[in-house]
Amino acid sequence: MLKLDPRTCLILLVIANVVIFIQNSAVIEIVWIGLLLVLLCICGAARSAAKLAGVFAGCMILQYIIFPIAPKAIVSIFFIFISYARKAMPCLIVGTLIMKTVSVRELTAALLKWKVPYSFIISLSVSIRYFPAIKEEIGYIRDAMKLRNIKFADKFECMIVPIMMSAAATSDELSAAAVTRGIENPCEKTSIIDIKYGIADYICIAAGILFTVLAVVIR
Amino acid sequence: MNVQKTSTGKMNGKELITVGIFSAIYFAINLVFMVAGGIHPIIWLMMPAFIALCTGVPYMLLCAKVPKTGAITLMGLITGLIYFATGTFTIVILLTFLAACIIAEIIRKATGYKSTVGNLFSYVVFSVGMIGSPLPIWLFRNDFLTQIREQGMGEHYVQVLDGLATGKMLVIMILLTIICAFVGSGLSKIMFRKHFEKAGMV
Repeated sequence: MLKLDPRTCLILLVIANVVIFIQNSAVIEIVWIGLLLVLLCICGAARSAAKLAGVFAGCMILQYIIFPIAPKAIVSIFFIFISYARKAMPCLIVGTLIMKTVSVRELTAALLKWKVPYSFIISLSVSIRYFPAIKEEIGYIRDAMKLRNIKFADKFECMIVPIMMSAAATSDELSAAAVTRGIENPCEKTSIIDIKYGIADYICIAAGILFTVLAVVIR
Repeated sequence: MNVQKTSTGKMNGKELITVGIFSAIYFAINLVFMVAGGIHPIIWLMMPAFIALCTGVPYMLLCAKVPKTGAITLMGLITGLIYFATGTFTIVILLTFLAACIIAEIIRKATGYKSTVGNLFSYVVFSVGMIGSPLPIWLFRNDFLTQIREQGMGEHYVQVLDGLATGKMLVIMILLTIICAFVGSGLSKIMFRKHFEKAGMV
């Protein structure tokens, strides 16, 4: 199983965006997505790769086979979601790669190596880790609202207040934990994780650059 | 430990964590409207106003919890970076958003972080920064419309958008955003009184 440097994953994320933004031919898009999917497989997330490949194939089928014959009203509603999904696919793939293979610790180590300000790293990593918590929270609040038959007009308040309350509580708890571990120690931070570029990293970045050039050249 | 030393000036660890958490909430609310904007052009054009209406509570709570320079800019940077990573932001919105964050920051600093009026106006400026999302239609109309057409937005969507995006619409959009920002901050004031102050959070 291949393990990429977290920095390579971040660079790939940017390249994936750039390629999909400037490309203009379906061939490049498909080959690029195919390669990213293979990379995802090699890195040991074959199941997610299969799932994403299914979604992409579904989008293509809808867009090229179903849409030309479907009624116009239905097409105009779903068209944008489908084309969004298609555009977001490379990002989704690299994003999955990062989610599955890179821990927040490694991400932090990578950003520290890039000399990103420490205050920014702290906020960003807290932010990234808090998204799943919001999702969970909203699920619970929804259940509770259903149980009590909350009126539509009150929904916003009933949603936002508990989220805010728990956000404040979480930030207190988290900072207590972080202060105990020495977040406010002014000396330079070290990391137990040693990150290095390997051959696979160079190959990935080279492939990314190659595709960027191809996307510019082939129109 | 030198917590006392950092009580003014730079943000300490706890405040950085608070900023991180509130940025996540802000981003989540933002994302809901961003996705909804794909349904119909009018929702997209009104997106800054909707966001201004709904994000008042997290913004004001963040202002109350972190009365330091940089809190809002940091929130803007994180939101911008995550959007950039998902490839949905254009350069225009990054610029307007960042500019709005910095101006909002200056207003907060000038009014001493605790003033209600100061926070209100910084929120209005911050909200108007979101205008950058639909702004490219007015700045480079034809290029932008061809671009989103090539990117796969439906023909119907592009046509409706072209019809809707008049000069009058731009004025309405900005005014509506400002009004919604006032209403949003009023809402947050009510929430503060009704819930957060009683709970001893601020």
